[in-house]
Amino acid sequence: MKKTVFILYLVSCFRLIGQETPAIANNKNILLLDGTAHIGNGNYIKRSAIAIKDGKITLVENALVKTIDTSGYDQVIRIKGKHVYPGFIACNSTIGLMDIEAVRASRDSYEVGEFNPNVRSIIAYNTDSKITPTVRSNGVLMGQICPKGGTISGSSSVVHFDAWNWEDAVVSLDEGIHLNWPKYNSLVDTASFSNDYQRALNSISSFFSRAKAYNNELNNSYFNIKLNALKGIFNGEQQLYVHVNFVKEINDVIQFKKDFKLQRLCVVGGADSWMIAKRIKENNISIMLPRTHRLPNYSHQDIHLPYCTAGVLANEGVLFCIQNAGDMQEMITRNLPFMVGTAIAYGLDYEKGVSAISLNAAKILGIDHTVGSIEEGKDATLFISSGDAFDVKTNNVEYAFIKGRLISLENDQIRKYKKYKKKYDLK
Amino acid sequence: MKKTTLFLVFLLTVGTFFPQQYIPYNGVKDNANQPIALIKAIIHVNSQTTLNNGTLIIKDGKILAVGENLKPPKNAIVYDLYDKHIYASFIDLYSSYGISKPIPKKKPPQPQYSSSKQGPYYWNESIKSEYSGIDDFQFNQKQKNKLLKKGFGVVLSHREDGVLRGSGFLTSLNKASNTTTLDNHAANFYSFKKGTSHQAYPSSLMGCIALIKQFYLDAIWYKQTNPAFKDLSIESHLKSIEKPQIFITSNAQDILRVNKISEEFEIDYIIKTGGDEFERIQEIKNAGLKLIVPINFPKAYNVENPYDANRISTQKLRYWKYAPFNLSILEKNQLNFSITSNGLSPKDFISNLRLAISKGLSKEAAYKALTETPAAFIQKSNTLGTLEKGKWANLIVTSDELFEKNGTLLENWIQGKQHIISDLNADDIRGKYNLNINQNIRTLIVKGSKEKPKASIQYNIIKDSTLEGVFIIDSITGRPIKITKKKTVPVTIKHQGKQITLAFKLNGGNYGLSGIVNFNSGSWDGNGLDPNGEWFKWSAIRKEKPIVKEKKPVFTMDTSAFHPLLPPVAYGFDSLPKPIPYLIKNTTVWTSEKEGILYNTDVLINEGIITHIGNILDVVDPSTIVIDGTNKHLTAGIIDEHSHIAISRGVNEASHSVTAEVDLGDVINPNDINIYRQLAGGVTTAQLLHGSANPIGGQSAIIKLRWGSSSEQMKFKPAPKFIKFALGENVKQSNWGDRNTIRFPQTRMGVEQVYYDAFLRAKKYGERWEEYRQSNKKGKQQLPIPRKDLQLEILLEILNKERFITCHSYVQSEINMLMKVADSLNFTLNTFTHILEGYKVADKMKAHGAGGSTFSDWWAYKYEVKDAIPYNASLLNQMGITVAVNSDDAEMGRRLNQEAAKGIKYGGMKEEEALNMITINPAKLLHIDHIVGSIKEGKDADLVLWSQNPLSVYAKVEKTFIDGKLYFDIDTQNQRKMKLMKQRSELITEMISFKNAGGKVQKLKAETSTSHNCSTIKDDGNE
Repeated sequence: MKKTVFILYLVSCFRLIGQETPAIANNKNILLLDGTAHIGNGNYIKRSAIAIKDGKITLVENALVKTIDTSGYDQVIRIKGKHVYPGFIACNSTIGLMDIEAVRASRDSYEVGEFNPNVRSIIAYNTDSKITPTVRSNGVLMGQICPKGGTISGSSSVVHFDAWNWEDAVVSLDEGIHLNWPKYNSLVDTASFSNDYQRALNSISSFFSRAKAYNNELNNSYFNIKLNALKGIFNGEQQLYVHVNFVKEINDVIQFKKDFKLQRLCVVGGADSWMIAKRIKENNISIMLPRTHRLPNYSHQDIHLPYCTAGVLANEGVLFCIQNAGDMQEMITRNLPFMVGTAIAYGLDYEKGVSAISLNAAKILGIDHTVGSIEEGKDATLFISSGDAFDVKTNNVEYAFIKGRLISLENDQIRKYKKYKKKYDLK
Repeated sequence: MKKTTLFLVFLLTVGTFFPQQYIPYNGVKDNANQPIALIKAIIHVNSQTTLNNGTLIIKDGKILAVGENLKPPKNAIVYDLYDKHIYASFIDLYSSYGISKPIPKKKPPQPQYSSSKQGPYYWNESIKSEYSGIDDFQFNQKQKNKLLKKGFGVVLSHREDGVLRGSGFLTSLNKASNTTTLDNHAANFYSFKKGTSHQAYPSSLMGCIALIKQFYLDAIWYKQTNPAFKDLSIESHLKSIEKPQIFITSNAQDILRVNKISEEFEIDYIIKTGGDEFERIQEIKNAGLKLIVPINFPKAYNVENPYDANRISTQKLRYWKYAPFNLSILEKNQLNFSITSNGLSPKDFISNLRLAISKGLSKEAAYKALTETPAAFIQKSNTLGTLEKGKWANLIVTSDELFEKNGTLLENWIQGKQHIISDLNADDIRGKYNLNINQNIRTLIVKGSKEKPKASIQYNIIKDSTLEGVFIIDSITGRPIKITKKKTVPVTIKHQGKQITLAFKLNGGNYGLSGIVNFNSGSWDGNGLDPNGEWFKWSAIRKEKPIVKEKKPVFTMDTSAFHPLLPPVAYGFDSLPKPIPYLIKNTTVWTSEKEGILYNTDVLINEGIITHIGNILDVVDPSTIVIDGTNKHLTAGIIDEHSHIAISRGVNEASHSVTAEVDLGDVINPNDINIYRQLAGGVTTAQLLHGSANPIGGQSAIIKLRWGSSSEQMKFKPAPKFIKFALGENVKQSNWGDRNTIRFPQTRMGVEQVYYDAFLRAKKYGERWEEYRQSNKKGKQQLPIPRKDLQLEILLEILNKERFITCHSYVQSEINMLMKVADSLNFTLNTFTHILEGYKVADKMKAHGAGGSTFSDWWAYKYEVKDAIPYNASLLNQMGITVAVNSDDAEMGRRLNQEAAKGIKYGGMKEEEALNMITINPAKLLHIDHIVGSIKEGKDADLVLWSQNPLSVYAKVEKTFIDGKLYFDIDTQNQRKMKLMKQRSELITEMISFKNAGGKVQKLKAETSTSHNCSTIKDDGNE
């Protein structure tokens, strides 16, 4: 109880300030006791003991099996009946690049030009976005910030959502390049694009061929900023994220991966991926599934198809995560857990649902050695919800830690609510 | 032979029977005015009567007599048509023959709100009732010949431009002369397409409908009052109102929309259809309409690749399969229809016609639909449509029964003038000949078509192989062997009458042959000139007659009966669900009433009503279906206060600032798959709202999601009237781009003025009518009748508290403003929708009496929602305001339960309160809470059975009932999906075999997405 008061005190510090202040480093030795821990790797511990020190998880134990000595901790938070999750990761996000979509001045996610591998999203990432605090208070604590536009949009970086500036936000810098695969047939336009498709494909191939050749030579006599930017794709340091949804195109992407001997390729979207799940798995391709809260593409498709796809991929053993790009994607990031909830309702195993926005996302992003699950030695980026975090009515984040720092769960919206409750004298 | 001569004689007589006395004449006048007799023919006098050995006598372009055993006058020119058939020439009522396509003006740089037309015309440029097609008529030989080949004698031609398109003219397909056009103003034309007008209004289908209605009202008023000003558009319309009124549509939905106008204004339209009437045949039959039906059946699609096939909508697949059945279905349902050949080549026209006949259309009905019916539609039965005495001698001669496979169209006579289409007497010179030149015999092969033959000479050259560079010794003779080489030489061939010309090159020299065709082309002979300039004799004897190539077997689809789907799209029903008594036992009942949640309770529904709630031990009706509700939850059907699903061609009339005259009820699209998807999300009632493009939008339509019903049957009849208003960025066009900066209002200041102006006009309008009624009552003074204005009528309803408002709103200042406007004019804002800053003015809303229908957690997508908070609903609820959560989005509409649950997460609502936001509260806002919105005895049985707590993200809808009928059932859903996939697969297989048999295909068109939201401002074309 006393400890809770302490926490409340910490939290109250932020209340007076308009923008959430990044939390101070925490060198206390904290024990989270008796909560149900959803590890992120598909397992859970009904009554767990999780210790945090110096930003890292130092202990994860089953409190039912092992007696936990609470004496060595500066602080013990008892969370019986509550749930602990690894911080959720919003992949394929534009948070911090765009706050108000309709206001041109606030749009920093779309760059002009066809091939912009050299463009870096992290440069424009705004740690003070008004949207971020409303997202992390639902358990989403990290994001992959992706540039949009053109055929090659540029490189993305992974950040956590509690920082003064991008340097201390960054978890993985320029970790991948984003390629928007052309459409064989446009879904919206009824015209057939097959010729244009082939042309677009050729132009991508030729660009990649040039880049590959350029990067084969270590001592080029000239410096090509664009071709150089693709270096990591060929040596496996960076992942190629291919934004593509339809099955015909995905098949071409698989061939593309083979042709260029790309080690790491992730399909972002892949609405049709369930049709060729085995092939995708065999070719060692991961999937960032689109938001489950969307309509099927065609009227005859299963009315619940977008809800069911994750379950199908999980059963086939495909490495996938769930992302929420689409209309109003920045603010809708806070509903990412509920999108997973819907997938769970339609066939995805609960703990695999946890993985779908934690450890599996981290694996795809190549950061699973430090984050993504509640395991000893990893960053203490996790949160406690009083109820099931995937269910709208029970998602209630009480504490959230980013690298062991207890972050503020306040936001502007809560403040406005309180302000007007006071005005109307509501309790 | 004889006939040719007669034809020549005939040619000389042409024109003589026309009244040309007043036309100056060069030469000696040949006043021959002889009758023409067609004898020994099988004459199809009309669709009912056929004469087997008939004679038809023509004089002065008209039929003088027709009958069997008729004796032609002695001076008649006689045509022996033994074994040939004579039909009346066809009449096409949908054509733009002789009128060139309208050329649109350059699009203005900024939106054009007023008419750019000079002169005293109607205010809207898409009203072109003053236009006469005849003024632009230019004789067009090419188009004429095409129509003649199809068998048409008369067409009704109009210009395809505008909502009201003006008059069309009826013309016979003769060269221009005094009798060519039969009626210069034969009919008026309409459509739901704006055409070349750049004027902003109308931008949507509902705008087109409102425009037509207002024009009619203005015309009536103009006639009644004879006002001081002139309107030539109205005057033209009034002059021709007794003429046939033809409405051009392109799908079954639009036919029913025209029918609604027809009923309202008592106008007996003739409707050109889209050829898909079979999909809504019951409603169309009930309407008893006159139809002009196209037979340009859709081509198949390239569907070999299953991924591609997956992109085609079920509706398109079905349309391909069933379009040829359309006419037979119309006939079976006794509809009055004519056929148009528009868009078809002569070849396709006749083959499609035969295809329709092979699908069950009777030959009599086909003949009638091409002759008698169009003649009657155009009010010309006295002169056209049959081969009866006194009518125009418009007839076609065919080699066999025209609607049979072998029937070839030979001649088309227009007003007694013969046009040869296919000369049956011409020699068919094709075949294999021995061509003899100076005793040198070579083979001549004539191939190609009868009209355009192609020829070649084939012969063998025998040479020593050594000369060809091959050295092979014959083992017996010991000499080099001889080899035979085949040579083919192309021949230029010309055949005219009995003359034949051949030209070719042989051994480097040119030969020219001229000759005569004898004995039906059994032999040719004549003289020729060789390369040395010497004349020689030649002949050709036919050895083989032309091989009539077996045509590729025409692919015939199976004539299996038509399978209706309700609606005709994916997941349509075979038959509509029936109201069976259901007993849902032992379940958790969320009543949305003061009783709260009842556990282990039974609910009985019968005849569409909730009849009993409690512990039901026994049911009287043995047909009652008992559903075990153990561990399940029953709620009232979800009501979506703000929806844009199921709307055809435009959610917004995105033009004028005030468009109260447009009505969503006119454009409900019952085929939208989102209706079914939302049923699967538990939605049973939705308010289809106009978008937010203008401060005063259109009238809304409250519907029950009765999937499979017609748009009219979907309407929630007892629901009161509503209209959409809108405030903020959308109405001031903030996000419409740089082109849209001139419409008033561009600021929130202007928005207020729009309202004052509109309501003051409405008030004045009401007063004027009241004054008129009073004065007439007293009989003192006859005031002129005021003009009826659809827009002001609707606004007056608001002032008279007969219509409620749902207003799109975000920012506190504008909410405040509108409530003040309403207060000052003494009406109440019923609902603020979106109302994202409602929490800032909740006290004022409460004082005013407004409710709120809000998004659960949307914000940050535009500037005016930067202060939106997810606690809004909860705070409004705490303030005692009736609050609902709505979708405004087809996707969110199917999981509104999750959105309601956000009231618990943000602001700590009780679970029942949260559920009420999608059940009883929206019912209250829509003033239908006495009928739906809760589980209460006597209320409509609109119910949803959930797999678990309906507010949980894990809850699935298992059953959705509307009016006690089971519209969605998760238990049969999978089965329905499998059935649909099977149906599609059968259609796709059929399409592939059709293509393989040589059928025509078209490029694949992917199904387009059909979702709308508030700010969709275009006519999206989605029917």
